[in-house]
Amino acid sequence: MNEFGVGKPLLQQFVDFVIRTLKGDLGTSFSMYPTKVEDLIFSHIPFTLGLLLPATIVSWILGNLLGAFAAYRRKTLTDNALLSTFLVLSTTPYYWLAMLLVYYFAVTLHLFPAGGAYPITLSPSLSPTFIVAFLSHYTLPFLSIVISAIGVWAIGMRLMMIYEFGSDHISFAEILGLSDRKIMTYAFRNSMLPQITGLALNIGSMLGGALLTEIVFNYRGTGYLVFRALVTNDYPLIQGIFLILISTLLIATLVVDVIYVYVDPRVRTGYSER
Amino acid sequence: MVKEILIGVFRIKKFVVSFSILAGIILMGVVGPIVYAVVPYKIVGPPEARPSETYPLGTDAYGRDLFAQVLNGIRTSIYIGFLSAIVGTAIGVVIGTIAGFKGGLVDDLLMVVTNIMMTLPAMLLMILVAAYIEERNVLYVALIISFTSWGWIARGVRAQIMSLREQQFVFMSRMAGLSDVKIAFADLLPNMASYVFMCFILLASAAMLAEAGLSMIGLGVTSGYSLGTILFWARMKEAVRRGLTWWFIPPGAILVATTTSLLVTATALDEYFSPRLRGS
Repeated sequence: MNEFGVGKPLLQQFVDFVIRTLKGDLGTSFSMYPTKVEDLIFSHIPFTLGLLLPATIVSWILGNLLGAFAAYRRKTLTDNALLSTFLVLSTTPYYWLAMLLVYYFAVTLHLFPAGGAYPITLSPSLSPTFIVAFLSHYTLPFLSIVISAIGVWAIGMRLMMIYEFGSDHISFAEILGLSDRKIMTYAFRNSMLPQITGLALNIGSMLGGALLTEIVFNYRGTGYLVFRALVTNDYPLIQGIFLILISTLLIATLVVDVIYVYVDPRVRTGYSER
Repeated sequence: MVKEILIGVFRIKKFVVSFSILAGIILMGVVGPIVYAVVPYKIVGPPEARPSETYPLGTDAYGRDLFAQVLNGIRTSIYIGFLSAIVGTAIGVVIGTIAGFKGGLVDDLLMVVTNIMMTLPAMLLMILVAAYIEERNVLYVALIISFTSWGWIARGVRAQIMSLREQQFVFMSRMAGLSDVKIAFADLLPNMASYVFMCFILLASAAMLAEAGLSMIGLGVTSGYSLGTILFWARMKEAVRRGLTWWFIPPGAILVATTTSLLVTATALDEYFSPRLRGS
């Protein structure tokens, strides 16, 4: 009991918590006593990041390309069909899509395992058997995040591209007789900028979605850890996970902001002129 | 006038299709539980029965009627969606209006709070708050969702107010000696009506998805059914791995249909009433 400081006044407990946290000690888990919270988190977070980051990047790239393609074919049947698909995808919850994918690919076709991050008979290592097993467990959670995230990116990109096509410099390029391909590149590059901002703004909601997906798949990441901590009322663990996840998220947002400076020349010159 | 608008709106194919789907689902939620008066948490038949004439959507692992659960679930989900949207939009509009209109220190302080709310991932906050509340009724869940997701509305409203307040008609009102509150409500808000309406719709559909997400991990309403709690039970009882498709497909499909049709209906209306958007 002394270890958790339960008897002390609340303010004292809070001050203790802040001081300990600053020293890098997140306390001891209730449910998995005497494991330290930070050890639990650091053994689970690579799985979350390994799932979330590639899925975000792949869905962002695919979404941008598909959105640009829909905008290029604007006012045709292709665009209509694509736009409707994007709309439906953008409101499809990750975890429900995950359930459908598990049902079709794991239960009906037996192509991929239905859950877990790797078989319980193996322990994490870099051996070929483990990597193959890991990847086959990885496929379905990865796909469910990528597919349902594509919609949001594609809708944004399509709209930006359509605005670009209506702008003066594109009309000028058309009058000059530049090739479609060239014009598309110009429009695409300009439309990418708001999409990078969107990336920074959306990482948070993607993280939330990824946590739920992990729970559906019993995937060994922080989402699964959060769920276990919630079920067992493991408050030190819950606090610790949230602290680490939110810090990670802030770092990711910062990285995107820095990337923005490199991608957009206007931001760069704006800074150096000051 | 009203008749002309109605005729015009109902000529848009997109609107007609999405609006009928939306109206159909809302009707199912509102009237459904009265017409199909099976108690959703009462055991009425054999467990895991396939959809049949007696059980239109089959039964769950305890033999409870899934169609009744879905009807009640639609009602709860839509109720939570709109309630959170009303509260969330109100918070966002009030904070955004004050920040944009007053400027200076008030603006700075309010924007610090707003930025913090926007940076913290809403889903994480919701999970955290919901986990500390033992008994969660529909109102609590709606409030948890609205308190964590008003940030971007406040930001948008503030930006709109800041550009609007420099307009000539606001100066006229000021010269006429109208109070700040009156200017904000009589001059500024009506000019942002379409923006606020879109915020409301977006928030309503996001709130419905958030509710389902919370319920899915057992942090939604503690009594009664929402579309998310049906998915929660389906997951707890391994419905997916045992191929009980009638259990986990309908709630999700209805959720997607509701949110999508809500968004499309709102976009179609927005395009109709602001001609600048037409044709894009």
